[in-house]
Amino acid sequence: MSASLVFIWLLAAALAGTAASRRDGSLRDGIAYGADQLVRLLPRLVVALAAAGFIAQLIPGGAVGRWLGADSGALGIAIAAFAGVLIPSGPVVTFSLAAVLFHAGAGTPQMVAFITSWSVFALHRITIYELPMLGWRFLVVRGLSVLLLPLIAGFAAGAVLLVVA
Amino acid sequence: MKQVARFVAERLPEAFGPVFFLFAGIAVASGFACYVVLGPAAFERALGQDGDLLLSLLPRILAAVAVAGLVRAIIPRERLGALLGRGSGVRGLALAAAAGMVTPGGPFASFTFMVMLRDSGIDRGALVAYATGWALLGIQRILVWDIPMMGPDFTLLRFAVSAPLPILAGLLARAIPIDPFVGRPDSAGGTPGSGR
Repeated sequence: MSASLVFIWLLAAALAGTAASRRDGSLRDGIAYGADQLVRLLPRLVVALAAAGFIAQLIPGGAVGRWLGADSGALGIAIAAFAGVLIPSGPVVTFSLAAVLFHAGAGTPQMVAFITSWSVFALHRITIYELPMLGWRFLVVRGLSVLLLPLIAGFAAGAVLLVVA
Repeated sequence: MKQVARFVAERLPEAFGPVFFLFAGIAVASGFACYVVLGPAAFERALGQDGDLLLSLLPRILAAVAVAGLVRAIIPRERLGALLGRGSGVRGLALAAAAGMVTPGGPFASFTFMVMLRDSGIDRGALVAYATGWALLGIQRILVWDIPMMGPDFTLLRFAVSAPLPILAGLLARAIPIDPFVGRPDSAGGTPGSGR
């Protein structure tokens, strides 16, 4: 039982209390909408989780690490941004890898680009949640909108460090 | 009980729609590849991890759909549309990004919330700003992952350069001439209690 799980259940309880106190059917409507979502999404979530698990097994973790190790300026930022897209896993794997690379001498702008890229493009999140829940058209619009953010963040971090130093 | 069965039965065609079979196909294909390339042990390990992940996700999923449904019931749709709709300008994008920042829980919570926001008629720019705010600036992830793993200095720098990005992404999304929700059965689909 993690803190975040307790928090989100407390939030749900508080909202249920608020809805119930209005005595206008808000509680019933809210629960019905939630149940509607659950029934629609659960089957897709189960098969997507299974697919992501198998694909994660098939992609070797060490291959990703080799390309990110170098502290190599603009090219490094680009490689790091690209590598962030390739991590089909949650924060456990991503931040472990980022921390290891960081301590091994990878540059700060490169790691900013890497984390930004993984944050907006994490493959498992797209396949498990975004595509099944919001559809490919939304994915296209969002993907185009955030395409350059990892590079912008990486170069901005580099610029800030230049000014500070 | 009969009501619950009918409620579920009415939604089965969509629950087991094309997307379900697409991912079921991918799961079978990648599971087969896993079995052949990496062996039965790796296959069983992956399957066991998937099961564990699903079990740990379920309580979060239940809480997330409850929160999304209740927020939708409490906040009138017209108000949400006015706050985050197409005419909401940069202020609407900033508000959406801030909502993403403070959304607790993992991706299931935020994506459930996004489905709810979409069904409430908010514009694509605000939805992209919300998703980007959650992904880049999420307070919970920063506290749990960024600071412990990368250190406070790195985290502060990353936060500072990322702060304007959700609004930038939202503006771009509004400029892209693709309607992401056209022809979606979900967006037109029956929403319980919307008759009032």
